[in-house]
Amino acid sequence: MSFDFHRPATVTEAVDLAQRLFPTARFIAGGSDIVIQINRKKIDPSHLIDVACLPGLSGIAETSDEFTLGALTKYHTIETHPAFAGSLRALIEAASVIGGRQVQNIATIGGNIVNASPAADFVPVLLALDAVLDITGPNGSRSVPLQDFIVGPGKTSLLPVEIVTSIRLAKLPARSATAFVKEGRRRAMEISVVCVAACLTLEAGGSRCASVRLAIGAAAPKVFRAKAAEAYLEGQLADQTSFAEAGKLAAEECAPISDVRASADYRRRLVSIMVERALTACFERTGEERR
Amino acid sequence: MNRKILNIVVNGESHQVLIEPHWTLLQVLRNEIGMMGTKENCLEAECGVCTVLLDGKAVNSCILLAGQVEGCSITTIEGIGDPEHLHPLQQTFIECGAVQCGYCIPGMILTAKSFLDENPGSRPSRDEIREAIAGTLCRCTGYSKIIDAVATAAERMAISGGSQ
Repeated sequence: MSFDFHRPATVTEAVDLAQRLFPTARFIAGGSDIVIQINRKKIDPSHLIDVACLPGLSGIAETSDEFTLGALTKYHTIETHPAFAGSLRALIEAASVIGGRQVQNIATIGGNIVNASPAADFVPVLLALDAVLDITGPNGSRSVPLQDFIVGPGKTSLLPVEIVTSIRLAKLPARSATAFVKEGRRRAMEISVVCVAACLTLEAGGSRCASVRLAIGAAAPKVFRAKAAEAYLEGQLADQTSFAEAGKLAAEECAPISDVRASADYRRRLVSIMVERALTACFERTGEERR
Repeated sequence: MNRKILNIVVNGESHQVLIEPHWTLLQVLRNEIGMMGTKENCLEAECGVCTVLLDGKAVNSCILLAGQVEGCSITTIEGIGDPEHLHPLQQTFIECGAVQCGYCIPGMILTAKSFLDENPGSRPSRDEIREAIAGTLCRCTGYSKIIDAVATAAERMAISGGSQ
């Protein structure tokens, strides 16, 4: 275990450095995952490029139609951001269960995304919100939907010389709400057995679902959208019967494994009930907005 | 060796330390600066005994590389009070009997301090306190009295007007 520690001053410098040191360099942001991996000798980079202090990659900006979250934004910043207390509450719900407060103060949302853990808690929420990532590399910048970015467990389409700089979320239409629900073996400091993020928009003036987005974590090789359940719900009455049916469909779509935390069968049952709960929470929250 | 100079402020005092790149903040605090109140245990940010304040915010010093905190200000348990002038949290931990074996207490007090400083003058509920200290484990399971102590300190700090 021996590496050089680099602190570039700009994104361009960081990318240049990564290119020069390829393939022996890794980027480090908060470090809450990579330092543990190094200590466990799972990875052994010769160079660490610290991006934590790069200018312009932190904080939350808002325009009339979208939010832009800097990739270095910390979970605790998300948790306390007033604009997320309404229809985007799932962002706060997920941010507040990632590690303890000490981790929420250093871990970055960009780090959670590029790690591509199948059990990542923040990724389902971003996926349910159709997040788009902005990426900078040697050939300039590109934008990729999160849906296409994560390709497998721990695998993304990010090149080793590229940096995720921001995450963009379109604002939700009226009569929308989100919810994040998580089950672990205890209530705090736990990797999810299953987690579900839901985003529900009701038809204007009616009680049918206009659009539904459901993202499920820890129940397949990567966080995935339950497309069959989403398609079924569109145009359905938003009620307990349709939510329960969506849960069943999502359970059929998932591909869980049995591991130290739970059996595949138990995970499948959880998916069914948690999808129903997440949708119910969304529905109740659209009511809060109406009042 | 690829040693480097680290500039760091610990409890208000500037230090220059010759570090190796893989050293953590915890190693620097204990082995180089001698702040033994910061404890070492899981080394994976699970237990919270290594908690210190980084620019005022609670962090796990076991998973921060020292190089990441260049130029930053660190507060350890030694920096928030002394036997003649205890911090309100130190005082209430004693009064409430919140200390059993004591190993988690430096981290617990700093976790609580970070939380109370973030919400100056507030009187958090027991549930809010539980959530705020979730990242710091007491293996003696003495949580009830720890929560009593944090709540009592919050009350006193609110009356006396905020952060100390």
